[in-house]
Order: sequence, then C-alpha cells, then structure tokens
Amino acid sequence: MAPEKKPSLGSVMVIGGCGFLGHHVVRLLLRDWTCSKISVIDVRCTRNRRPDSDGVAYHEADITDVAKVKSIFEKTKPDVVIHTASPAAQSNDKVSHDLFKRVNVDGTAAIVEACQKTGVRALVYTSSASIISDNKSDLINADERWPVIRGADQTEYYSETKAAAEELVLAANRLPESLDFLTCAIRPSGIMGEGDMMLMYHMINIYKQGRTNVQVGNNENLFDFTYVENVAHAHLLAAQALLASSSLSTVPLDTERVDGEAFLITNDSPVYFWDFARAIWNAAGSPMGKDHVWTLPRDLGMVLGLLSEWFFWAIGKPPTFNRQRIVYSCMTRYYDISKAKKRLGYKPLVSLDEGVKRSVKWTLDQQKGEKNQ
Amino acid sequence: MVAAKQLVYFLCHPRELRSVVQWKLYHEPVHKRDPSKETATEKSCFHFLELTSRSFSAVIQELNPELLMPICLFYLVLRGLDTIEDDMTLDIAEKEPLLRQFAEKMEIDGWTFDKNGPNEKDRELLVHFDDIIVELKNTKKEYYDIIRDITVKMGNGMADYALNAEMNANGVNTIEEYELYCHYVAGLVGEGLTRLFVESNLANPQLLVRMDLTESMGQFLQKTNIIRDVHEDYLDKRRFWPKQIWSQYVDKWDDMFLPENREKALNCSSHMVLNALKHADDCIFYMAGIRDQSVFNFVAIPQSMAIATLELCFRNPAIFDSHIKITKGDACHLMSQSTQNLRVVCQVFRRYVRKIAKKNDPRDPNFLAISAQCGKIEQFIETIFPTQDPKKPGVQRQPTVEEPSMDTKEALFLILTILAVLGTVGGLMVGIAYILGAKFGGPQSKPGDLGSSIGSGPTGHEEL
Repeated sequence: MAPEKKPSLGSVMVIGGCGFLGHHVVRLLLRDWTCSKISVIDVRCTRNRRPDSDGVAYHEADITDVAKVKSIFEKTKPDVVIHTASPAAQSNDKVSHDLFKRVNVDGTAAIVEACQKTGVRALVYTSSASIISDNKSDLINADERWPVIRGADQTEYYSETKAAAEELVLAANRLPESLDFLTCAIRPSGIMGEGDMMLMYHMINIYKQGRTNVQVGNNENLFDFTYVENVAHAHLLAAQALLASSSLSTVPLDTERVDGEAFLITNDSPVYFWDFARAIWNAAGSPMGKDHVWTLPRDLGMVLGLLSEWFFWAIGKPPTFNRQRIVYSCMTRYYDISKAKKRLGYKPLVSLDEGVKRSVKWTLDQQKGEKNQ
Repeated sequence: MVAAKQLVYFLCHPRELRSVVQWKLYHEPVHKRDPSKETATEKSCFHFLELTSRSFSAVIQELNPELLMPICLFYLVLRGLDTIEDDMTLDIAEKEPLLRQFAEKMEIDGWTFDKNGPNEKDRELLVHFDDIIVELKNTKKEYYDIIRDITVKMGNGMADYALNAEMNANGVNTIEEYELYCHYVAGLVGEGLTRLFVESNLANPQLLVRMDLTESMGQFLQKTNIIRDVHEDYLDKRRFWPKQIWSQYVDKWDDMFLPENREKALNCSSHMVLNALKHADDCIFYMAGIRDQSVFNFVAIPQSMAIATLELCFRNPAIFDSHIKITKGDACHLMSQSTQNLRVVCQVFRRYVRKIAKKNDPRDPNFLAISAQCGKIEQFIETIFPTQDPKKPGVQRQPTVEEPSMDTKEALFLILTILAVLGTVGGLMVGIAYILGAKFGGPQSKPGDLGSSIGSGPTGHEEL
C-alpha cells in the first residue's frame, strides 16, 4: 500500500483541488507524501474541503485569470503543480462547448504561463484516455502509440479541448528558456469513486428506475474503468518522477523518460461493459442475476436510439437515450498501461472490485442525504 | 448396449460426431512410433503406458523420437511412485522408505515390487518394473539425470504427505498448502518436462529462467482436476479444497454437499475457479516458448482440456453430486484445435473465457473479480496477437462469429413492420368501435362511454 517512508514533493499546488479528482489528490498528499506546503486553487472552495487542521491553503480563483493565478503562485511558490481542473463532460450544447474551451484550453494555457513565470519545476496535467478515441471505433489494448484524434475526426468537443490542452502542456516541457520546468500528462480512463457525480449517479439511477433488464450487444466488449484513488496516485508518482528528472544534469533515456510524455492510466483490469454495470447494481442492492435480462442486438439498439433522437427532436428536448449511448455500451475500449507501470512504477492501490463497492456506498449515502434534506 | 447408447447420443449431437470423425480421420501425427524397430523391453514400456494412462498415452506416443522414450519412462516412473503412494493397504512403515528411496530402487537391475494390494489398478507396472529399469539404463545421461532428480523430489514430497496426519485427517487448510500440494503432484512433473524440452533443444531455454511459468502449467491442470473431482474425493473422504476458501461460504465441509446449500457451494466453487484462472495467462506464455510441433501438441492438449473443464464446472451444481466430464465430441474438437499453433489455442482460451463470463452471476461475491480475470486473459492474448495496429487506427469492428446480429436495415424494417401492424390493428379496433356507435373525445363524452376509455380526451385522465 502506501510507501513506508513518505517521499517528499516540496510545495504542491493542486488546481481544481475541491473537484472530484482534485480532492483525492489532496487526500493522498496528506496520507502518503511529505509536502512542505499544500495549496489549492478552485473556482469554489466550499465543497470537498479538508478540515483546517490539515493545513491546506485554499485560494478561490478562476484559472483563466492569469494575473490572479500568477499572484497566488508567487505567494505559495509551488515546486509541483497538479492541474486537475476541468468542467464535467456532461452536456453537449453551445454553452458547455464555450466552457470546455475556456477552462480546458485557455485555463491550461494560463496555468502553463504562471508556472513558467514563477519557477515551478513540475506540472502534471490531467488529460483523458478519450482523446485517442474517435467515439465509434474499438480501442483494443491501445497504448500511447495510438494517435490522438483531433479536429473533424474527434466527434466529442470535450475530448478535443482536453487534447489541445495536453498538447499545450507537453509542448512546454524543457523549453530552452525554462529548462528546469518539466511537464507530463496523465490520461485516465473512466474515473469513478467517492465524489463522482456522473458515472455512478447515472448507473445507479438506471437501477433505481428498474431499467437493469435490458442489455445492448453481446457483452463481449471489455472496458477500462479506474478508481479515483489510483488516478490520484498516478499523478503523484508522475510529479515525483518529474522532480527526480529535473534534478538530473542529463536528459533521461527515451525509454525511461517521464517529462514531455503522456501516460494512460487504468485499474489495469478491463471488464466486460455490462458486468461493470451489473456489479454496480448488485452493490447498490439489486437481488437480480441475469435471467431477467433481455439482450438487444447492437443494430436494433441503434435504430431505437435513432427513433428516440427523432422523438426528442420533435418534442424539442435533448434526448435521454441516443445512439452514442448504444455505441459506448457496445464499444471495446481498454488500454495497455505498460508504459506507466515501467516508467512511473504505477500499480493500482485499490482493486476494481473494492473501488466499485466504495463508490456505490458513497453515492447511496449521498442520495440518502439529498432525500433527507 | 454401450455402443447403442453412443449411437443414439451422436445421432442427437451431430456436431460432436463430426468432431470425433474429424479427429479420428484427419489427425495426422507429427511422429509415429515404429513398433517393428523396438526391442522387447521398449514394447513392454509402451504396453504399460497404454495400460496406465488414458489421457497421456496417445500424445506421448506421437512425441519427437528424441524425447519419446525419455518422456514415456518419466511417466512410468512417476506412475510407479503414485501406485505406491495411493495404496492404502501398504503400511506407512514400509511405504515411507520405499517412496524416499524409489530413485535408488530404479537403478537396481531386475528390481520389481509385488506387495501392492490386489485392487491397486496399476500394480502390474511395478510387478514388471525390471523392463522399465532396462530402458532407463539406455537413456541419455542428461535426460536420465532429470528423471532421477524429479523422482527424488517427488518421492520425498509424497512421503511427507503420507506422514502428514493432520492433512490426511482434515484436508488442506490454507491456499499456500493447497498450492504446495499442487506443486508436488503437478508442478514437479512440469519442472522435469520443461528441463527435458530445453535439454533436447525443443523449447526456448528462457523457460528455465521463468520456472514460474512451468509451475503455472502444473497448477492450472491440477487445480482444475481438484475442482472437477470434488464429489469423487468427498466420497473417498479426501478434501483438497482449502479451508481458507470454503470456510468463507460454509461452516463444515459436509455442508457443501447439502442441497439447501447449493448457492453457497456454487459461490465457493466460483472462488476456486477464479483461483485456478489466475494461472491461465502464464500457461499461454509458456506455450509460446515451445519450438517443436509434437511437444506443442503434448503440452497444449491438456491445457485446452483444462480451460474447457473449468468452464464446464463453473457455476455447475452437478459437480457436487456427480462426476462430470467434457463430452467426447468436445474433447476431439479441442484436440484438433490444440495440435495446430498458439494462435488457435489462444482462440480456444478466449472462447472458453467468454463462456465463463457469460455464466458469471452478478449475485456471486466473486462476480467482478472473475470478470476482471477473464478480461486479463483476453488482454494477455491481445499482447501476443494484437488485433489493432496503432498506425491504422479505427479498425473495423470485428464481426461476431457466434451471434450473427441484424444489420440496421433489417432492424429498421422490423420496427416499421411492428409499427404498421400496431397501427392497422389499432385502426381496426377504433373503426369497429366507431361502427358500433362509440363517440370519440369531445366535451359531450361521459365517463363510462366506450369512447372515453379509448380516446385521449381529458375526461379519460380525470378518472385515474
């Protein structure tokens, strides 16, 4: 589990440290690492906040505001910046597209600039494994050699902005004018865990609405989901590796290099898509096996999805059920994370099974709380 | 009677019959032993091989001539040891030294052993063991030394188990003990075989560096047997399932076999299957190190049979009250597929892994762990035989062989048909109702009118 002697990361700044992933990064910093200082920048610092006794310094700021970010950096003097801030990838309208662009691309550019100007040594950026997906083709044991899908081929604008931001971050690595500033990117796949308001909520709602009896496709498609603590752990391993590289007088060998590189991160445990869903439903209390399940062929599902899209178009509402959902549930999408294992020494701290149980419990507690309010 | 039964069976299962015929007619052995050139003692060895082994006899006889005799002898020596260990009529005071000194006995010209009980099925082998000793002396020294070394280790291991009163009375306790037991009965055999394969240059010497792969080969086979034989062993008052696992499901071992505990027993058995499946990727890796076709067949056939047997046992309540086996047709099909190349054997593994995943039950406490283990095996196969090339992303989705699915046009057509039928029937009903005098919607329709129950006027809803 946690390392025996807690390694040191100096002064650490977590951007988005009150968000889903970010607050787990803060939690692990306190649990597994030694830091001279832990600071957080977030748009809202009220949720997921550590108790004052933990000594985390919270700064409320919009990351697109370079001057503000820079002034906070000058005050806190971070050695390491972990940039996890990103809006939820839920909606797909003009307003959210603008938000994706503003936070993911412009915000990241502002953070890179602030890092360069204030002597930060290491920047770890939270990218996404979805940037190598075209959202229709399978990804079978894909690794970092797979090309990033951009522009017209990238049908999800969210992924497009994550890819653009990753490119910005990696391009800032080891620049002639700031040789001591090293960067890398973590590309997690399917994050779930305590604090997740998307994946788990959605899955558990399907159970609560009694819709566990339909399965689209033959469930032979493997999918990678990752427990949030493991993703946070990978970020901190990467930060440690960047600090170690920056103190070297030479550039590491290409096969050992962490700076300027992207790393896919999963639980190293792909499972069949609908198995994951069923594991959640059963952890949430479903007493059902699979006998009640009605399996729809993928193509029939596509037709139903299309009809649903037409229907919702006709009544002028965004569809709750569409073809992209069908595509995702039938898509094979799993990754080979050998690179992270070799170069970062990454290994998941928590198994998928345990991660699902913890995430479901948290979500159920949360929903109970909402009801009682 | 038996023949008639088989005939009926195959008439009902023509696909199996095809597999049997295919194997019997088209299987061309890579090597065939030539009895006309064999000495009397060599012939005797093969006679005993056929007598004592049902599953291994054929594959051994098709081995590369370089290893044919050494492996046949290796098998017979171990079978001899086993016959002593198994015999409950032998007094422990006699059995223990005999097991420990078996390697010395097999160096004495003319040594035989006739004190086995009359019911010991392979007692004849030891009665004529002098023939085997003659052939052992003709074996190349490098091979003989390996056979001898394993015989010493296995004899001592068996003697330790024979003396282990605790285990004999109560069975295996921890998973560690369970795996140690599998090591003695199967892992050691694997070690001897791997050393023979490498010594004869028929396998990659790297296999000697990664002996853990060899160990997995043995563990996978032995664990599968232990899972399948649980009922038979229970009747014989033996237990190999470790307490560390079954105590999570039942309090007493006997409870496993009570019909009211079937669900718990099944969950326990899937825990055992999960434990066995963790060796599968190592087994595939091991087989990648084999350089000779006959040796490949020799190692691949039992592995394919094992994954198929695991699938058969997985969530199958029959293992708790009968002895189940894969069918003859399936066995022949597996043999045909295990005597080609690693790619085909990987397809066999993937096929059975997916069958296991399909039987996996969300109510099983090991559900997600089993799914992940299946995923791990599939992922490992992908690393050896990748489907996708990063230089050509967006590979077409692979057509699913087993489950032909509708294409979009067909499905659309189906839906339109359904809608058309619904529309026609609905229209007819409304039409008939109208002819019969029903009034639809409108302010004048009163509750109780036929119209209000069909029409969508506001009055219909107010009733609810």
